[in-house]
Amino acid sequence: MAETKRVIVKVKRQAAPKEPSRWEEFSLNWRPSMNVIICLRDIAENPVTRDGKKTTPITYDSNCLEEICGSCAMLINGKARMACSALVDQLDQPIRIEPLTKFPLVRDLAVDRQFMFESLKRVKAWIPIDGTYHLGEGPRVSPEVQEKGYPLSNCITCGNCLEVCPQVNEHNQFVGAAIISQVRLFNMHPTGAMNKSERLQALMGPGGVQECANAQNCVHACPKGIPLTESIAEVNRDAWKQALLGWLLG
Amino acid sequence: MSATASQPDASYLLRKLHSFTGVLPVGAFLAEHFWSNSAALVNAAKYDEVSRDLQTIPFRPLVEWGVIFLPMLFHAVYGVYIWVRGKSNVSAYPWVGNWLYVAQRYTGLIAFAYIGWHLYTERWLTHGHSTYATVETDLRNPWYLTFFVVGILASSFHLGVGIWNFLCKWGLAATAKAQQAAGRLGVVIGVAFSVVGILIVLSFRLNWHPFSSYYLPK
Repeated sequence: MAETKRVIVKVKRQAAPKEPSRWEEFSLNWRPSMNVIICLRDIAENPVTRDGKKTTPITYDSNCLEEICGSCAMLINGKARMACSALVDQLDQPIRIEPLTKFPLVRDLAVDRQFMFESLKRVKAWIPIDGTYHLGEGPRVSPEVQEKGYPLSNCITCGNCLEVCPQVNEHNQFVGAAIISQVRLFNMHPTGAMNKSERLQALMGPGGVQECANAQNCVHACPKGIPLTESIAEVNRDAWKQALLGWLLG
Repeated sequence: MSATASQPDASYLLRKLHSFTGVLPVGAFLAEHFWSNSAALVNAAKYDEVSRDLQTIPFRPLVEWGVIFLPMLFHAVYGVYIWVRGKSNVSAYPWVGNWLYVAQRYTGLIAFAYIGWHLYTERWLTHGHSTYATVETDLRNPWYLTFFVVGILASSFHLGVGIWNFLCKWGLAATAKAQQAAGRLGVVIGVAFSVVGILIVLSFRLNWHPFSSYYLPK
């Protein structure tokens, strides 16, 4: 057998939420442009560990393979990032792959990010355009707002910003940077602004924007380069203006 | 909490109050305290005059409790509550902001312990009548001296980072550029307070009064 370059991958596995976790090591054939998802697919094709034991394919979420769907966030060599854009050639081996820790585990590398989707619902991260009658055209969005809003609209709800945030943990319900940034996005839209105070109100409850402690990890971890710390600052400003000055100035 | 509730949550208001008290009155008091104690850089007589002026302000108990002790106590106690509800991960993500997040918690605790002891020795034991001589005697003790220096550096650092946090968290420095500028302002404040604080300690310790020529006896 010809000498081929090997890729050594260690995966943290867990059969179910309450089962104990264990590590499995795999030795894979190297290929050009290989990413972590390819590694997991190769393991699924031939689920045999490095020491020859037969095992099961690894459970993980992934879909688009181009940092658009947000489903393949995991810990790769201890850092929260998207598996699809984690290129093997740029990673130290053995490559350690673990599930995100801030979300309930489903199995192996799959976690349940429902908390983020519930938070998006809580802050009404949408623009209501449905009515019982035709609402007509909305106001035009100025180029300035479009320019500011576009980067925010790139959020893929991957959860990396929550994973790296020291304030997101089991002791509180902090919604995290992504959700706050979505509030900013929908509040800056002229139609979305009609629900601005409701969104801010929702972010002044338990786990709201006040829980941010300015460690600013989120902005470093965001795979989409969203200016999350700017979003948090702006939403914070709108929130305290509403809470502290609303009763005074109307 | 439902989105239809019309009032912000208590946790929101307490958190905002914590952030605000750090600057006003606690930070402002630290500035006043360093300013007043800088009188030592003139001479002992000037220091005692300033000290006496402060001891004879009207509404003294109200000012001491309402503007100094209680806000500080609240800021410290709620700060510890915030600390225990966070979960540091600086070993996995050693970014500067993350280091500051951790350092802010430890310096806050050190500053609080120091201020408690400082109040006990310089306010309580002197019955609110400390003079140049009492402080000078205390600073001859090398342990006191060490604790003074550590306390000054921790408080100054905590204030510097706190100003940065405050400007970011109240959205007064919102853009990335403004937050960088706020960070530089925090550095300037932290360094300035450290330097002035250490100069005051040196003044007592070395009997060094660089501004003694300014002195005009009352």
